[in-house]
Amino acid sequence: MRPLHRRTLLKGLLGGAAATVALPPLEAMLNLHGTAWADGSPLPTRFGVWFWGNGIRREHWTPDGEGRGWQPRAELAPLAPHRSHLSVITGHEIKTATHPHHSGMTGIMTGARYHQNGTTRDTIVTTFARPSVDQIAAAHYEGQTPFRSLEVAVCRFWGTDEGTTFQHLSHNGPNNVNPSEYSPRRVYERLFGMGPAAPQLDLARRSVLDAVMGQITRLKGRVGARDRIRLDQHFESIRAIEQRLGAPQAACAVGEPPAADYPDLDGREQIAEKNAAMSELVALALACDLTRAFSVMFSTAGSGVIVWPAGARNSLHQMCHDEAAPQPTVHATVVYTMERLADFLNRLKQIPEGDGNLLDHCSILCTTELSEGNVHSNDEFPILIAGKGSGRLKGDWHHRGRGKPNTSHAVLTALRAGGVPAPTFGDGPGLVGDSIGELEA
Amino acid sequence: MMPPPDVEELPDYEPAPATLYRLTRAQYQNCLRDLLGAVDVPADLEADTPLHGFASVGASELTVSPRAAEQLEAAAFAVAGQVFGDAERRQALVGCDLGEAGCVDDFLRRFGRLAWRRPLSGEEVGELSALYAELLRTLRDPWRAAEFTVATVLQSPWFVFRVERGEGAEGQRRYSDVEMASRLSFLIWNSAPDDALLAAGERGELATPAGLETQARRLLADDRAREAMRHFFGEFFLLDRLDGLTKDRDVFPQMSPTLGAAMRREVEAMIDDVVFGRDADLRSLLTTRDTFLDAELAALYGLPPVEGPGHQPVHLPPDNPRGGLLGTAGILALNAHNTVTSPTLRGKFIQNTLLCFDIPPPPPGIPQLSDSEDGPETTRQKLERHRSDPSCNGCHQFMDPLGVSLENFDAIGAFRTTEAGLAIDARAVFEGQTFEGPRQLGELLREREEIGACFARRFFRHGMGHLESEAEERAVRDLIDAFRASDHRFQALVVALVTSDAFRLVGEDE
Repeated sequence: MRPLHRRTLLKGLLGGAAATVALPPLEAMLNLHGTAWADGSPLPTRFGVWFWGNGIRREHWTPDGEGRGWQPRAELAPLAPHRSHLSVITGHEIKTATHPHHSGMTGIMTGARYHQNGTTRDTIVTTFARPSVDQIAAAHYEGQTPFRSLEVAVCRFWGTDEGTTFQHLSHNGPNNVNPSEYSPRRVYERLFGMGPAAPQLDLARRSVLDAVMGQITRLKGRVGARDRIRLDQHFESIRAIEQRLGAPQAACAVGEPPAADYPDLDGREQIAEKNAAMSELVALALACDLTRAFSVMFSTAGSGVIVWPAGARNSLHQMCHDEAAPQPTVHATVVYTMERLADFLNRLKQIPEGDGNLLDHCSILCTTELSEGNVHSNDEFPILIAGKGSGRLKGDWHHRGRGKPNTSHAVLTALRAGGVPAPTFGDGPGLVGDSIGELEA
Repeated sequence: MMPPPDVEELPDYEPAPATLYRLTRAQYQNCLRDLLGAVDVPADLEADTPLHGFASVGASELTVSPRAAEQLEAAAFAVAGQVFGDAERRQALVGCDLGEAGCVDDFLRRFGRLAWRRPLSGEEVGELSALYAELLRTLRDPWRAAEFTVATVLQSPWFVFRVERGEGAEGQRRYSDVEMASRLSFLIWNSAPDDALLAAGERGELATPAGLETQARRLLADDRAREAMRHFFGEFFLLDRLDGLTKDRDVFPQMSPTLGAAMRREVEAMIDDVVFGRDADLRSLLTTRDTFLDAELAALYGLPPVEGPGHQPVHLPPDNPRGGLLGTAGILALNAHNTVTSPTLRGKFIQNTLLCFDIPPPPPGIPQLSDSEDGPETTRQKLERHRSDPSCNGCHQFMDPLGVSLENFDAIGAFRTTEAGLAIDARAVFEGQTFEGPRQLGELLREREEIGACFARRFFRHGMGHLESEAEERAVRDLIDAFRASDHRFQALVVALVTSDAFRLVGEDE
């Protein structure tokens, strides 16, 4: 944990009261010039993933023109207001593609092949062989914020029988997942709900957690190698709680909690409303420096969400296969999805930070698990990087790869823009050591 | 899609290695209720991640994420707070005066044994007792110290995971009698063993098939078994998806927020009737004319209103086209799209779920489907056009011909005779047999040997908590044989599994 934030001082000034005071986030914690923390350390850079399932329609996605002179087509038009903060990457290909959806998901998120979970049935069940990119960033930022990472999801459709690849985005390794929270209220309660506890209660909680960690350690000595890895994660998970004990509360304007529930209205999922609430919470978590690594899973790989506001009457995955060319509803769904992304980016931009805004200090990999859902393609992969990575990215640029370069170059670019000094990204045919220099400032 | 090898070609049997099982969400809730009585377990718990169709398989692979650890901590304090916030309940739980010598250790020994599903060692009691003393110094209140100690026991890996390691010499390891108590109760009750079962294990009574059968029969007679098996079949058929069933309200005015749950309840009640109500041949699930309907479902089925609240037993009249599992609105609606049916999904359900015939996922580079230029067509006609492409027909030939026999039931499972103004043709031919509708389909499937084998195979996977390995295939075949020999009684299948070597032996660690 950062030894002393200005936030700590702020809490002291307020006499330890629940710190939901109406301040512009962070402003009070900055130095006089607003360019760094009060203690002189630089403003943080954050890394995130914004993911949606089932790809795009190429003819509406790929921009006209390259470099700074790019012009969005219909599917990127909703993001035009954020073009100064947008790097568009086209022409790249997943180099570890073997299996629709699965290899795209693991290929983009890990730069590697999936790990197949058991081999005796034909229907494929997979998990990630390596940590997902958000967790590579989380490992780099670890210890500087109360939460190592934050995972949220919007559309509720959840695949059930093709392994963790279809159910979760964030992975620490094979079947070691960070499940996304689907309820905005629970995200709110997790981040902001803990009022300050009496010191002796924190002390007692610490005794409890220490005892549990001791039990985990002793049990580790009695189990096989595979289970030891699982218990290591259990131990780390408990340790993360213990490290937060006594840490300062968030000192931001957090506003009213979101609705407890977003029930379907006339059988229709409230997608935009949930997305808005989650977007606001992620923006606040970043502004308050509660975490620096996050993922928003708007919809899962191969999602069966019914995007009714885009005119869809059936599940997206089914429509990708069944709607006749040129798939106007699938296209409308992609436009709608990019509008939701624009909403999220807008909320980041609305929060002033330093001499700019929060989005300036983010690098957000925005992508999906395949290029086009109807043909399950893995080339011409849709990739955006939103944010300026604290000045590491030019923004407002369309980089078009020639000769089908590896998608991992784009992911490594996003990761490095998040301030993560990763020498490489990926494994096997997905491995790269070079980011895309043309996008970097 | 290779046919299963003959028994003679199978490798020698080897038991699976031991693994930690994280409690599933339902097991965690059930354990807390069995341990503490009526407690309100917070709903803010991680959802299960099913693998290979079952949460029990996911539970043998997954661990405790940072978020899950937070949720488990909050839940442990919430339930402990409920018990210790009530003077009578906490006194009943602790059972002695905390200030008296020996009370704390005595309580921890009793409570720890039920919570961790095994007797605690003296050292473990000593450690928890020292923790209690430390907490007492911090909190200065014996009840609060006991409350926090209970919250510790409930967050322990010994509670959150099932730890079953086995004992004995290398190559001959088997689960201990006390571990067998857990294996039995988590399979049959989806919860921890009760005092009687643990005591039977401690007395060495679970070392023999006869001892195991005695306890298994006792557990099966308890309502917790019905709940646990409801859970198993729910996962098997993905019935929980019915609770949030989404169907287009413009196309289906009958669709309501409660209809999906009513469909689920029908399927569950039909299964419960076959398995527990009558202990009948499980295959009769495909042909039974005894079902359970509420007012909403009776209306959907075009039957007279049921008398009484909730779901009531209904014997389908002879002229009713429904019958068996495949005639329930729940199965028909689950395996359909939002506005239209899917003979492919229904066929896949039959092949994949009921017959254990795996169908590969669609290949990369799927050809684009187009609408017909010759005016309206039925779903069946559209699919037949699709299958004229050989790359599609390779797999669709296994699914669509079975699914089209159910085309007289729309995407919410209501009966219909036309689609898009065209008469529906639900005649189907599968492997040389001509048939039509769920009743004939059920009769046809019931005679297939794969049906019984598939139930046994999936129950093995669920019960063992892992994907069956090649080295276990002989044990799977033995279970299939035992199930057949019992005339496909599901309760007999349960007993056959828990008394089998596969359930009792432990392989070496990987």
